[in-house]
Amino acid sequence: MKHKKIALALAGILLTSNAHADITFNGFANIVAGTTISSDESVYGYDNNIDLSRDSLFALQASSDLGEGLSVTAQILSRGADDWDPKFEWAYLAYQANDNLRILAGRQRVPFYMYSDFLDVSYAYPWIRPPEGVYNVPFDTFDGVGAIYSSHIGEFDTSLHFVYGGNNSDIRVFGSDNKADFNDLAGVSLTLTRDWLTLRTAYIQTEMNIDLLRTKPLVDGWNSVGQSYIADQIEVAKDTGSFVELGFQLDFDKVIVIGEYSSLSLDDTALPNQDSYYIMAGYRFNNMMVHVTYGADEDIQDPLDIKYQIPGVPDGTPVEYLPDDLQALIAGTTSVASTEKSKYITLGLRWDFHDSAALKFEYTSYNDELINNNDAGIFRTALVTVF
Amino acid sequence: MNIMKKIKMKSLICASTLLLSFTSLANVAVIVNSGNSAAIDEADISRIFLGKVKNFSSGETITLVNLDSGQATRDEFEEKVLNKSASQVKAYWSKLIFSGKGKPPKELASDKDILTFVAANPGAIGYVAEGSLDGSVKVVKVF
Repeated sequence: MKHKKIALALAGILLTSNAHADITFNGFANIVAGTTISSDESVYGYDNNIDLSRDSLFALQASSDLGEGLSVTAQILSRGADDWDPKFEWAYLAYQANDNLRILAGRQRVPFYMYSDFLDVSYAYPWIRPPEGVYNVPFDTFDGVGAIYSSHIGEFDTSLHFVYGGNNSDIRVFGSDNKADFNDLAGVSLTLTRDWLTLRTAYIQTEMNIDLLRTKPLVDGWNSVGQSYIADQIEVAKDTGSFVELGFQLDFDKVIVIGEYSSLSLDDTALPNQDSYYIMAGYRFNNMMVHVTYGADEDIQDPLDIKYQIPGVPDGTPVEYLPDDLQALIAGTTSVASTEKSKYITLGLRWDFHDSAALKFEYTSYNDELINNNDAGIFRTALVTVF
Repeated sequence: MNIMKKIKMKSLICASTLLLSFTSLANVAVIVNSGNSAAIDEADISRIFLGKVKNFSSGETITLVNLDSGQATRDEFEEKVLNKSASQVKAYWSKLIFSGKGKPPKELASDKDILTFVAANPGAIGYVAEGSLDGSVKVVKVF
């Protein structure tokens, strides 16, 4: 419904602008095939059946200058993972206030990561997609206002990006879609660039409300026995989530080195905190690039504080003597705490065989450091293009 | 008559192809409008062509003009001045296009079109093979 409204509004703007200005169309597409190398393995949503839709996508962008520094842009993106259901990934009015300041209103990217701005444009970076471990926040866009201030400090080009808004689309957690509402999303990112050097940092926080299907029985259960103190620690309601990112890029003629670290804090919820980083080195020759990436991810769930005080149940009663429903609640609550630790190495090749298309091959060896038989090898290949 | 014309045309095309491949080995001249008196140093040139600088030191708004992709002079320019391959330049502009942060320069088909455009627009900056220069524009630097 909301998409339709945005579409109508934009169509209106584009149509009225048509009399004065041209509409520019651009697009990009990634066709990605992937499979794990043996039958009992599964990682990043792939198993050993060749999957052509999971990471494949197609996008079309229309933009128009309205004059006086005003422009309008809409980008519609279809993902194989969403049954090719087209969605507005970007849809905004931009106002270039002066040479330094640009203001965006509408749907746009949350500047979480170094590659947030062109997250899905695989043609614009070495990998098929940026490392999943760091690029792990379950949403990428927001509806609201952004301001980009571009300037110089000494020899460095600087870009300071502020955002404020919210997001109320469903998000995918624990393998299912959950209704979510992120309010008061606010953040800032700073990028410094000089010749071959790029440095970046970002901080974003938001109020989170997620109807987690998986933990709903626990939340209801604790509330029904009057222990809202425990329910509050599990449910994601009016909790603050915060995200910190640090990144760098060294881009020489032949050699490129990229590193990025992210930390996601989701305190007082059933969702673990996540710390991730990767470091990548690439080498260009002719129209090829070979690259290797090492990354590590850690999900840490602080133990929940299960101090219940229930009338008729004396303090210190051993769990096995508690009423059955309470025992089930305690068991469910302790198993909610999920801790994960993994590392991976990706070897990749990018071949720019055409003016506006590239072919990519990647092999990732994924290593679960806590559960031995969760290791997996995954092979992906992609044809990526911009037009 | 017609056939003769065709043959003539063909040899002309052959000759110009030869000429083009010959000039591609020659130098690339960065050019501005002859009325442009702004100070432009070497470091500015690559920043200007990557859209990082919007105005000349004189305050005049910069209008970039590029050769169509696939032309030898363009490859030469991107290699020598921007230190990037054609696909790296394409990737660079893709980042800006799809985040709404910038638009790639206008593209023209030939050195002649570039010279005409730069001569007619006070804020224009472009490049042509050194051999194409005809005195209608000001040369900033030859690479």
